[in-house]
Amino acid sequence: MRSAPPLATWTRARLAPYAFLLPYFLITAVFFLYPLIYATVLAFYQTDGPTRRMFVGLGNFKFILTDADFHKALWNTTVFTLCSIFIQLPLSLALAMLLNAKSDRLKGLFRLIIFAPNLVGQVFVGIVFTMLFTPKYGLFNKLLQSLIGWGLEQNWLFDPQLVMPAIVIASLWLYVGFNMIYFLAALQNVDQTLVEAARIDGAGPISIFLNVTMPAIAPVTTFVVVTSTINSFQLFELPFTLLQNSNNGYGPDNSGLTIVGYLYRFAFENGDLGSASAVGWLLTCIIFIASLVQIRIASRVGREQ
Amino acid sequence: MEFPYGRAALGIAVLTVLSAAALLASRERGPAVVVAGVPVASAKKPDLVFATFTKEHAAAYHAALPAFEAKHNCTVQIQVVDPRALQSRLQSAMQVGADVPDMVELQDGFLSYFIKGPLENVHMVDLTDRLRSSGIYDKVVVNRFSKWSRGGRVFALPHDVHPAMLAYRKDLVEQLGIDVNKLTTWEEFARVGRDIVQKHRNPDGSPMHYMIDLPADGENIIIMLGLQHGTGMFDADGNVTFDDEAYVDVICWYVKQIQGPTRTSFPAGWGQNLAKAMIDGLVLFYVCPDWRTMQFEMDVPKLKGKLALMPLPAWTPGGRRTSTWGATGLAFPKGGVSHNFDLAWELAVYLYFDEKQLGPRFLQTNILPPLTTAWSQPEFSAIDDFWGVSLGKTFVPLAKDVPPAPTNAFHFVAASKINKAFTKASEHYAAHGESGLRDVARRELHECAEEVRTAMRRNVFIQRELDRTQSTRPAATRVAE
Repeated sequence: MRSAPPLATWTRARLAPYAFLLPYFLITAVFFLYPLIYATVLAFYQTDGPTRRMFVGLGNFKFILTDADFHKALWNTTVFTLCSIFIQLPLSLALAMLLNAKSDRLKGLFRLIIFAPNLVGQVFVGIVFTMLFTPKYGLFNKLLQSLIGWGLEQNWLFDPQLVMPAIVIASLWLYVGFNMIYFLAALQNVDQTLVEAARIDGAGPISIFLNVTMPAIAPVTTFVVVTSTINSFQLFELPFTLLQNSNNGYGPDNSGLTIVGYLYRFAFENGDLGSASAVGWLLTCIIFIASLVQIRIASRVGREQ
Repeated sequence: MEFPYGRAALGIAVLTVLSAAALLASRERGPAVVVAGVPVASAKKPDLVFATFTKEHAAAYHAALPAFEAKHNCTVQIQVVDPRALQSRLQSAMQVGADVPDMVELQDGFLSYFIKGPLENVHMVDLTDRLRSSGIYDKVVVNRFSKWSRGGRVFALPHDVHPAMLAYRKDLVEQLGIDVNKLTTWEEFARVGRDIVQKHRNPDGSPMHYMIDLPADGENIIIMLGLQHGTGMFDADGNVTFDDEAYVDVICWYVKQIQGPTRTSFPAGWGQNLAKAMIDGLVLFYVCPDWRTMQFEMDVPKLKGKLALMPLPAWTPGGRRTSTWGATGLAFPKGGVSHNFDLAWELAVYLYFDEKQLGPRFLQTNILPPLTTAWSQPEFSAIDDFWGVSLGKTFVPLAKDVPPAPTNAFHFVAASKINKAFTKASEHYAAHGESGLRDVARRELHECAEEVRTAMRRNVFIQRELDRTQSTRPAATRVAE
């Protein structure tokens, strides 16, 4: 018969897991839970910095939802998000498929080159592209002119019609490689026996891609779409640095203003943390709904397949 | 002996202990001094901390500091911080009660971030009484206080006047047969510009020269031109004023210069791009306040002797021939890290209003100081090698005509809305030409001004202050209104 462990050992064994979890809970409570609750409270106040505040009820939400600048920010962010999903991700997938080709001996090098822009971050890319987009002298403008005979004098960062394309182009350079890595990992896990079986059955490349590859990488695609949507809705540094010389960082007629830019303007330019918190909550709701819709659609498509 | 929870946990525990020990050890060598998020470099705490956003100013002050430090037996530390970083760090430090510098130089418009609450809650020291009692107020170009005041109270010392002129490629302008003496109004300037752009073409059909460098979004230049035409974004009482006919004139003139068949301008931008455009002769004229003259001296020495200055064309014949673009102000955050406002004030007076300092500094920076009594110093008559004229004698006669540019807490909101109105007018011109342009500009300016007024009314703190002021005024005064 085994004897019972001493009380001290038993207590230590019971408490040890909690002790290990304690740092996580502490950090979560201090840096996540408390700010979350505080931001919820603040959303109902107008503030002049963190020390002075006045209760305004739903006033912040009412103002924001009827503010033309918020509508503009919401529109800009949505357009950018759609571009991310429908331009950036297909491009990432196409690059991943190219790099997944077995015959390419320089695969590793290309993978590094395409991924490398992601290492430098949004601020760096923003500053570099302000120079690339310069009318007459910018490299990008010169490249366009030599390729298609148009674009030398285009003022990408000061023409409201061209600001969003400029942001999308800069973000493509930044993020295509990042998402490509996910797709590449997924493609490398596609069951090759299924591909071979489909080929034997007479399926062509397009049919194989649609009926074998796509279903196999569907979970990763869902993940990439959802994270891209969330990141796109949180866009801020890239347009803010890209447009640093135009309308205080928001572009002509606020054509580069994003929801987080709108939040930043309230919090750090106007000192109104209350309104900024309200914007933060609205953004949370938007992201939550968008993500939920995407996951639902993905799971429905998955069931049908 | 083995650590009961494994090597990983042991590694984390060791790292924690070592980090804590390192932190404690560094504290023993003296407390780290961090002012507005910027660690103070020297181990010894300085007697005064002075933050500025430009290394040119810092270099000029560094040269003058030893005499001040010797006289007052103190040490002064100058920090150079990027203007946006300076504003956001200072704002954050003030909000959470962290240490702030004793003195801080603010860029044009940045005071607005600090004056959003009631006057008594403005985080900068009110300098009005000290300025008046010291007599400095009467010696300074009085319009320059408007950029640094709210409700008649001054919160920063003006560093400059920044009269605006046009700089141009003298050699090319003469070659092209342009008589600058006849460019007395903006309409005439645009007419000559159209001729130049249309007549002189490259083999590929593109213009060989553009008359002037103008930013495509217009922002700073439109505000400058509005001031020249007699209207600021706000009046001295803080009311929004940009929805008037002067701004309509400016916007309608401007949109015609940047696009379509009437285009005369090229958006050369800043720094190397503008320098390249001037060297190539792509751009003939550019707007040049005093501070920009030094930028060209430094960046493009090969243009020495090829550039000249002329007054701005006026909006109406015989009208104002200058305006102002940019400003720097020296403010004193309340509760500065050294808690020695008197010493900080002494340093400010020494750097900003000591005539012996200002002459040599003008040679270093080309920036005209606002202290009128300093302009008789010999340095203000000296011939500048690069420009071939006395910059002091060129800018001083314009200084008295520099318009006031009142600011308020909604400076950047208003600037953004002007940008919006301009963009809408510009889009209308691109689609429909001149037909209906004035009506569109007028309507957009009015709508944008209303948006600024709505934002101002929404500020419950300022509204409460206004209500309190109204209710405490004598009833007779209120009835009279």
